Amino acid sequence: MEKMVKQLVEAYGPAGEEQQVASHIKDVIEPLVDRVSVDELGNVIAIKEGPAGAKKIMLAAHMDEIGVIVTDIDDAGFLRFANIGGVSPFTLIGQRVRFADGTVGVFGYEKLDGMKDLKLNKMYVDIGATSREEAEAKVGIGDKGVYHREFIGQGQRVIAKSLDNRIGCAVLIEAARRLENSPHEVYFVFTAQEEVGLRGARTAAYSLDPDYGIAVDVTDTGDTPEARRMAVSLGKGAAIKVKDSTIISHPLIKDLLVNTAKTKGIPYQMEVLERGGTDAGPIHLTRSGVPTGAVSIPCRYIHTPSEMVDLRDVENCIQLLVATLEGPLP
Amino acid sequence: MTGRDLLKALSGAKGVSGYESDLIPLLTEAFMPLIDQAREDKLGNLIMLKEGNGPEPRKKIMLAAHMDEIGLVVTGYEPGGFLRFANIGGIDDRVLLAQRVVVHGRKDLPGVIGAKPPHIQEPGEQEKTVKMEDLFIDVGLEDEVLEELIAIGDMVTLAQQPVNLQNDRYAGKAMDDRAGVVVMYLCLEVLAKLSHSADVYAVATVQEEVGIRGATVSTYDIVPDIGIALDVGHGDIPGVPESDTLPLGKGPGIAIGPQVHPRIYDRLVEVAKEWNIPYSIEPCTTPRGTDAFAIQVTQAGIPTALISLPLRYMHTPVETLEWKDLEAAGRLLAMFICAIDSDYVEGLQCF
Repeated sequence: MEKMVKQLVEAYGPAGEEQQVASHIKDVIEPLVDRVSVDELGNVIAIKEGPAGAKKIMLAAHMDEIGVIVTDIDDAGFLRFANIGGVSPFTLIGQRVRFADGTVGVFGYEKLDGMKDLKLNKMYVDIGATSREEAEAKVGIGDKGVYHREFIGQGQRVIAKSLDNRIGCAVLIEAARRLENSPHEVYFVFTAQEEVGLRGARTAAYSLDPDYGIAVDVTDTGDTPEARRMAVSLGKGAAIKVKDSTIISHPLIKDLLVNTAKTKGIPYQMEVLERGGTDAGPIHLTRSGVPTGAVSIPCRYIHTPSEMVDLRDVENCIQLLVATLEGPLP
Repeated sequence: MTGRDLLKALSGAKGVSGYESDLIPLLTEAFMPLIDQAREDKLGNLIMLKEGNGPEPRKKIMLAAHMDEIGLVVTGYEPGGFLRFANIGGIDDRVLLAQRVVVHGRKDLPGVIGAKPPHIQEPGEQEKTVKMEDLFIDVGLEDEVLEELIAIGDMVTLAQQPVNLQNDRYAGKAMDDRAGVVVMYLCLEVLAKLSHSADVYAVATVQEEVGIRGATVSTYDIVPDIGIALDVGHGDIPGVPESDTLPLGKGPGIAIGPQVHPRIYDRLVEVAKEWNIPYSIEPCTTPRGTDAFAIQVTQAGIPTALISLPLRYMHTPVETLEWKDLEAAGRLLAMFICAIDSDYVEGLQCF
């Protein structure tokens, strides 16, 4: 498990440029499913076929990650950039960025009156170039960079960039490995461009036209010092989504997940996420509507290079998904 | 059931966005004598059809009024038997203090949102709004029993039964937009006595308050030729300019703006004049905010209009409106529907 997660989080895949991570996921999941393909927007769609007339259920975990995009290169070879997805300037100080070809840069910022004036447009990336020409030989306008950080496993807790949402991808892959006799047709979808507006899931759901949807993504916790109040903690089980900004989970799916967790004795907690969205949003509004819910992996420090999850929660999420997919649907 | 009975029953019933299913039996029973068929779609929209008498294939007119209401959701427990909560939809923190609520746990439990007494407040405390995150619900239970009966994620409604004010006005919760549902009922009552060639789909939509979600999927399914959303508009109150409000008792607002097809607007105004139905003109500049927008941008695009009922104190438990505005809106819609023929619908396609 740790090795799989390490490979997933360290893969390059900012929103809109997921090819590297997509190709890795495709290779890993190919032997575990009946068919796998990549669609027009770059979503990886792996299918475990069901018997004739089976209900179609779509699982979605986004594989893209947040990052930065180069907007300008100056005469001295410094790169200006904008964000891709939710990137805080304060998080970038002291960080390293890696481009698709492996070029690494560091973030710096201009002289400021105070730290509250720190905005992305006061920052730049330094790749060590001494001139515009030298920089342009490595990086062009429009090139995208992601956090450059290695995976760390420390007991039950793992720390890495992009656990949002490569840990969800790991959950889907492992569920595909363990799921043997589902009475349903199961779509394991690794979606593109979630971080910039839940875009891949929207088109994937349209083309797959599922009967039910379950998104798998990370969620916030309220278990750190003086945190914003939230009844989700690391290590207390799979989180079953009640709502976020993009969906109110369909009661049928929410209850199915809760009842499965209770019956199988899988630790779970209820997630009411007041800010933030998931792929469950666009899935449930597809065509004439898709009853949809979500299973979430509790995660601290989301959108930093040091996101943290508990592997016991990950295991519980996998068990909950597998048990749900093996049973009857509402 | 009379329209008035339906309004009172709907206002008092529970149906927070995403959890509207309790309203379905109530609505089905009330509407059944006026419609040919009813079905619930996958997200819980109630789609009711009254067939027209024109030759097939008939044009389709979709009416949409949302049946969900804003409410609260339990987010956690606080030692001593208290519940923390968050909002579903646009709740105004200021109206929550000292409200009575019903927590829809394993059973419905009455509760109160407590308030700190004036005697023990710190200086200056009264000048500030108490934020929702500092409020709590007290249902009177001990910690252990509380967690057994109420789960995180359970919905909460404000406990406010409707009252009849003077001048045939009603005040209560969830008038936004169950009054719109009642207008569909009144429209169908009128249509029962008239002849219309188009099929009429009356849709009680879900999840409008959290992002016009029910109308998005139900419109995709129906693909009407004309869509008309029925919602509420701000009624006249002291301290708000007349230009921003609709007067109570002077008929519904007929909206004009980017989400409204100008020729449907024109026809609605013509119909109102022809039948002497009172109305106001309501300029709506923002494209979002009502089911009309969800309808308009569905599939290849739907010619859409919006009718607004004047309503005071929106998103409070004392939303107030006047009965004759509902009747006028119902009649206006019915007369509009009767005036629709295929040529008119074809004409809408060249803008």
